[in-house]
Amino acid sequence: MNPAPRGVTLRGVEKRFGAVTAVAAADLEVRPGELLALVGPSGCGKSTLLRLIAGLEEPSGGEILIGERTVNDVAPGDRNVAMVFQSYALYPHMTVAGNLGFGLRVRGTDRAEIEKRVERTAGILGLDDLLSRRPGQLSGGQQQRVALGRAMVRDPGVFLFDEPLSNLDAGLRLRTRDEIADLHRRLGTTMIFVTHDQTEALSLGQRVAVMDRGRILQVGTPDTIYREPANLFVAAFVGSPPINRLRLSREDDGSLLGGPFRFAPDRALDAATLAVRPEDLAIAPLLPRPDITPAGRQPDFAATVLRIEALGSEQRVHVDGPADATWIVRAQPSLGANPGDRVHVSVAWERSHLFGPDGGRVGSAPRPIQILRDI
Amino acid sequence: MRGRAALPVLAAVAFTAGTALTIAVAVRGLSDAQAAAARDVARMAAELWELAGGVDEAARAFLDDRVAIEAVPEGETRSGSGTHAYRTGSLQPAVRITVPPQPRMTPLPPAPTALALLGSLLMSAWAVARRRTPPAPRYPAIVALTATGLLGATAVTTHRWADSELEALSDGHATHALRAVEAALAIGADPERAVRVAGLPWATSAALTRPDQIWTMPRGVARALATVPNPPTASPFTVEASGATYHTGLVIPPTPAATTPSPALHLALLGYEETHAPTVPLAATATAATLLTALILCLLPLSTRPPLLRRTVTAWAFLAPAALLLAVFTFGPLLFSLWISLHEWHLVDPVHPFVGLDKYRNIILDTDWWAALRNTAIFTLHVPLAMAVALALALLTRGSRRAVRLARLALFLPGITSVVAIAVVWKWLLNDGYGPVNRLLESVGLGAVAWLTSPGIALVTLMGISVWMVVGYQMVVFQAGLAAIPRDWYDAARVDGAGAVQRFRHITLPGLRHTLFFVLVTSVIGSFQVFGLVYVMTEGGPLGATDVAVYHIYREAWEFLRFGNAAAMSWILFAVVFAATWLHFRLLERRTVRA
Repeated sequence: MNPAPRGVTLRGVEKRFGAVTAVAAADLEVRPGELLALVGPSGCGKSTLLRLIAGLEEPSGGEILIGERTVNDVAPGDRNVAMVFQSYALYPHMTVAGNLGFGLRVRGTDRAEIEKRVERTAGILGLDDLLSRRPGQLSGGQQQRVALGRAMVRDPGVFLFDEPLSNLDAGLRLRTRDEIADLHRRLGTTMIFVTHDQTEALSLGQRVAVMDRGRILQVGTPDTIYREPANLFVAAFVGSPPINRLRLSREDDGSLLGGPFRFAPDRALDAATLAVRPEDLAIAPLLPRPDITPAGRQPDFAATVLRIEALGSEQRVHVDGPADATWIVRAQPSLGANPGDRVHVSVAWERSHLFGPDGGRVGSAPRPIQILRDI
Repeated sequence: MRGRAALPVLAAVAFTAGTALTIAVAVRGLSDAQAAAARDVARMAAELWELAGGVDEAARAFLDDRVAIEAVPEGETRSGSGTHAYRTGSLQPAVRITVPPQPRMTPLPPAPTALALLGSLLMSAWAVARRRTPPAPRYPAIVALTATGLLGATAVTTHRWADSELEALSDGHATHALRAVEAALAIGADPERAVRVAGLPWATSAALTRPDQIWTMPRGVARALATVPNPPTASPFTVEASGATYHTGLVIPPTPAATTPSPALHLALLGYEETHAPTVPLAATATAATLLTALILCLLPLSTRPPLLRRTVTAWAFLAPAALLLAVFTFGPLLFSLWISLHEWHLVDPVHPFVGLDKYRNIILDTDWWAALRNTAIFTLHVPLAMAVALALALLTRGSRRAVRLARLALFLPGITSVVAIAVVWKWLLNDGYGPVNRLLESVGLGAVAWLTSPGIALVTLMGISVWMVVGYQMVVFQAGLAAIPRDWYDAARVDGAGAVQRFRHITLPGLRHTLFFVLVTSVIGSFQVFGLVYVMTEGGPLGATDVAVYHIYREAWEFLRFGNAAAMSWILFAVVFAATWLHFRLLERRTVRA
């Protein structure tokens, strides 16, 4: 099984349904053999984008290339793509073997060849014993593998996954996720994986494309997406618990003030948002000498512990952050804090972000020029 | 525990009540028959009294022996009991005639009573014993069989007893009738009038065998009477005809001097055992009692599991009204038609002798019936055509655009329009002479077509109209079926490389299989029952070309009044439809269930 992996290129692809724009001027380059995760909240257009690539929707504008070929006018079956649906869309009146072989059958492939390929695919996915069953007699996980197998059997150049894990329970979802990663490693095929679950996207994708309201906001490795979000939406959407935010407003002197923090931006901004990941905050009990914390950091603000999520490997400490925002701090489980305790919180400014009023990123590692200490 | 003890007691009570009621029904039927006999005698006496214009010498012999006559005081009208006789031209009853009370024949039938008592004792003993013994699963079966047997035996012996008692009553009645006719003849009445005095005895004689005078006499009775030797060896005697017993007698009219001897009169009276036997209520009571007892006994195995018993009883209590309606209005008529098909059934003849499968044999030999069935089968061929058209329309009129919605509405309209209205309009449209369709054909240079008047075309025309009628409904059902097919299947098939035809074959058709099956079965059944279209448009013609099964049955019953044949045909049609439906299930649905 050596499918030649194909790249997928989108150039200014648009899709409008009447007055609604589902996908707006999408540019995307999926490299051959790459596993790209397409992530975004529901209704962001990610499934439409996938269907555009599959040919199930006609683009309203732009160009779609698979490999070197423009496929705008190519029928789905001739695009050398395979798709796994969220519902699996198995044909209920056919056996597993029939489902696997359907794509080959309608292309008039030789019977012996179909059998050979179906057997090989079933062997890879461990479906050998289920070939004569019907989808209705299979468990959710087995149906999922049949759906995978149906995509694999044709050795397509590109695999498209439309939220294939959503219908599985949590444990099975994790296992199947690993299986898909493993499959990708073995087949080396280009895969585009649509999901609304950012954890799934980060863990599975070699690169991740984040979409919102029909636009692709950022494409990058999971690390880039997480560490250097291109805008506030990406920063807020990726990561769990979500990134902590603080609204900053412009002062008369052109500085930005939010809570105790005053920033001097590189360029004039009317407003901005400070974003800090929960693990980039450190917490310490309030000590008699507030200027010294055990981590050796300057305490940046004092807060009260509101709630503690003890997850075993870590603790999530909810505190009343600056300017009444509730911030979450990721802390060691050994932290002996209780709700109601007064604590010191210090910020790793070198890993925090500043986003402009349009959500775009205006600066990394902003360091406040002044911290108003009320403690 | 309460249920365990209560059920056997209930069964015993049901049994006892059932047998008692059966016997009571027979006794009541007998006393009714006795009262009717008394009324008949009183009526004969009144007729004679009026014929004689008072008490006449000739009538006295009849009247004195049998009835009490008292004068009705002036001014009193028809009050009080008894039968009144009038003087000619007077509306004031002259005398009141009553029959002295007859001694009751037998107060209680001995054999049935003994059987009922024995059964009730057995059941009660069993019910008492049942309190102590642990439940045994086969116990109720034996008890149920015994109880059913005893109930059946009680019913049968009771009916036998009633029959023999009624026969005695009939013999007496026949004697009364003969004497009354003799008296009437002696008074000087002509034979026809004299015969009427006896009520409705059927008489044969040279003078009375004109067809118009014996129209109520079943042919079998006339034939049987003709074989009676003259003079008869015994008087009164009985003949069996058409499965019923007739009490007959011979009356020799007194010959007035110097006239030629009048021919003897053969009288035949349908016996009380044929007209007054409590057969139906008796059978109904016994059946109800048997069913009730059996039902209670069937619940017995459940009595070890009281919650289940309670649930079952509750469920049946809720089901009872619907079940009763079904029994009375669905299964009742069904069984009645089955009964009619096995008997000689006529609107006016009170006797319905059992004829077995005669009707079915007649029908099987009836080529017209087979032609009607063949026409029905050919007519049914419109169903696959209609389904193909409906499916195509359903695929074409998907979506919710305004034009599409209007088209759907237009196509559906024939399905909700009265068949008669449709038939009348089409009949006009397709009329040979003035029909717009033929006018149009002629105006474009094509010849007129005898749509409904050519034996070769009429059935095809009806099929075409039927397609037009059912297509809208089928289309809507198909659309519902299409809407239920997930879009993902089509998308998956498209990605798999299936073209439009392959998607139709591999996704649409399998996805619609249950819908197709439903439409096929209901349409075929509907097609087998086609009636209105034929009735209004062609009346089975021309030359029987459109004589379909239900229309044939209708004519057999209401035109030729052969209800037995019609009922038998209905059952044959039922068998055909049933077989066709079963075949559909067998060939299509089972396979698709596996698919």
